[in-house]
Amino acid sequence: MSNRFYRNKWLPLWLASPQLVVLFFFFYLPVFLAFFWSFYLERPFGGGSQFVGWQNFERVLSDPEFWTSLWRTLTYMVVASSTSIICALVLALAADRGIRMSPLARNVLIWPKAVAAASIGVIFLFIFNPFMGILAPLNEMFPGFWNPRINPVHTWIMIYIANIWSAIPFTFIILLTGLQSIPDTLHKAAAIDGAGPWRRLFDIQLPLLTPQLFIVVVLEIADSLSGSFALIDTMSQGGPGGATNLLVYKIYVDGFKAYDLSGAATQTAMLMIVVAAVTAFQYLVVEKRVKYER
Amino acid sequence: MKLLKIAASALMLSTAATAVNAAQFEFWYGNTGSVETAIQAACDAFNASQEEHTANCIGQGGYEAGMQKAIAAYRSGKHPVLIQFFDAGTLDLMLSDAVVPVQDIMPDVNWGDYLTGARSYYETSTGELFSQPYNGSTLIFYANMEQLGEVGVTEVPATYEAMVEAARKLKEAGHECPVTTDAHPWRVLEQFSARHGAPIASNNNGYGGLDAEYIFNEGPVADHLNNLAQWREEGLLKLNQDTKAGKYNVAFNQGECAMMEASTGSYRSAFEALGDKVEIAMAPMYEGVERRNTLIGGASLWVMKGHEGEKLEAAKAFLNYLRQDDVQIEFTRMTGYMPVTQSALTKLKESGKADMKEFATAEMGVNSLNQPGDVNSRGLRLGFYVQFRDIFMEETQKAFNGGQTMQAALDAAKARGDALLRRFEQTYRGVELP
Repeated sequence: MSNRFYRNKWLPLWLASPQLVVLFFFFYLPVFLAFFWSFYLERPFGGGSQFVGWQNFERVLSDPEFWTSLWRTLTYMVVASSTSIICALVLALAADRGIRMSPLARNVLIWPKAVAAASIGVIFLFIFNPFMGILAPLNEMFPGFWNPRINPVHTWIMIYIANIWSAIPFTFIILLTGLQSIPDTLHKAAAIDGAGPWRRLFDIQLPLLTPQLFIVVVLEIADSLSGSFALIDTMSQGGPGGATNLLVYKIYVDGFKAYDLSGAATQTAMLMIVVAAVTAFQYLVVEKRVKYER
Repeated sequence: MKLLKIAASALMLSTAATAVNAAQFEFWYGNTGSVETAIQAACDAFNASQEEHTANCIGQGGYEAGMQKAIAAYRSGKHPVLIQFFDAGTLDLMLSDAVVPVQDIMPDVNWGDYLTGARSYYETSTGELFSQPYNGSTLIFYANMEQLGEVGVTEVPATYEAMVEAARKLKEAGHECPVTTDAHPWRVLEQFSARHGAPIASNNNGYGGLDAEYIFNEGPVADHLNNLAQWREEGLLKLNQDTKAGKYNVAFNQGECAMMEASTGSYRSAFEALGDKVEIAMAPMYEGVERRNTLIGGASLWVMKGHEGEKLEAAKAFLNYLRQDDVQIEFTRMTGYMPVTQSALTKLKESGKADMKEFATAEMGVNSLNQPGDVNSRGLRLGFYVQFRDIFMEETQKAFNGGQTMQAALDAAKARGDALLRRFEQTYRGVELP
């Protein structure tokens, strides 16, 4: 029976159908509509929409705000994911040894992952409040030393720290699992041959960790796009003076607060293209260097 | 047989549903806090006052959120009969084809009873009211007289020159925050230019047609914003982000700052916090400029298209109810918003309550609205204005933070605003400004 059962060519489709249906309604359809709307000039309340060809794209592409925002988004993508991965990697390397209570510690460490990004934003906004937060004493001594409400650099530091805090646990667990699955014998053999901890790190641990590193890079880059929205919405609302206006937040503001449905749709289409390009790069170029075989 | 049963029960269900719907209608509003309490109280009172209709009043958690939800609901045909929209969205709604003018569906009401300042903002070029003014506010000046008294200032400053003089005295006496503002365009651009008779945009602020352009980057508004930046440098003025409280009106209420320009709607919380220490006056003028009226802020009630029959009748009954003098006076008492009709104002004055602290803003605000007006103080007919407010904030904040000069900020805001106006013009190509 089993053979005939699995030979049914419709079976894979049936098994995948629930997910495909969900994906269709919540992903493919909206994406299709975004591309569709990007060729129309749409009135907020509907009615009277007109086909304008590439005009929306011309408008968006000639808007310096769009380019600054896109550039900011790419910078954020790189800086946010690399800082959080490096921090998690350092912690994972430090924890990768037979320490007492480490199973418990690992459990506790995953908890921040369960906190919504918006809540993290609110908490860190309070922690970094220039008049009541942890840096308030420094502000008392040197007025104007720290004010993320005014200084964009401070705002970015605050957002990056919140992002690292929220991203570390999951990345840490994945990297630690990867490290622990590296056979002990390799370490021992290398140690007998006289390889110090640094040499072992670069020649044994990191190369064997590439599958895990690859997956966290993919996840973190995707997360830096979606997770940044909640942080920015709660912490800076794109300010001060538009300095933290990432593309995801700009699209939301343009579409929902400014009723510019066509412009928002066009920027969504552009963002889709960028994300598709980044993902393609990851899988077509970067993954080639990943060693899955041991 | 079974099919018949199902059909019969479906029919019963649908008739039952219409029976409920007939008496009920939905009203969406945006306010939160004490204003929301007052709106809910008005709804309850309306429902208790008669048995025919039931108002189902649903808070949307903010003006902008309310507008977003209304757009989504209208596009999917699930919009409420009655909705509260805020001032800045007026033109977007007028051209949306999603609303019907209140004066069209209720021609018998004496709409002329509405205060001029409230009418001009919400009426068509032919003088027809598009929406029913509801929670009307305007800009007034607040001063903490205890703090001003300590440096020998006994009167609320009426001019910016006097305000700066008082601020300098406070600063010399060691006060850290003489004046506070959030530099929101409603306060520093719209209300400022209206009462100084200065234009924000050509074509009489857009009343003359959709091809208007922003022109606030030269003249009194530009001077004023440059002054604000300079006063902040001098330590006389703090923005939201400079205050400990993080928000200008909270900073004033907590006694951190001594003076502010704010909506009449802020009065209740200020009075609760500071009591007799707080005194109000009309918003300051620059010396030598003739005072014009300020604009009505807050929000008005719009009837959305696509409803008829009993639902619409119920909504009309609710609008009629809210217009009653006593209902308006109670709303004023609970919120600090102003009565918006002449008759309610007269009744308030005659009742002798007008002198009570709760009603202090009513007379002051109405007085400010009723100053002689000109073409630049009627209101705004500028498309995508909600987005323009964000742009204005963004560019001026950059200037306050030292990223660019104030003039560069205003020029950039004008350029980006003009692009919005052109897009609005194109979006509503062929639509006549009502």
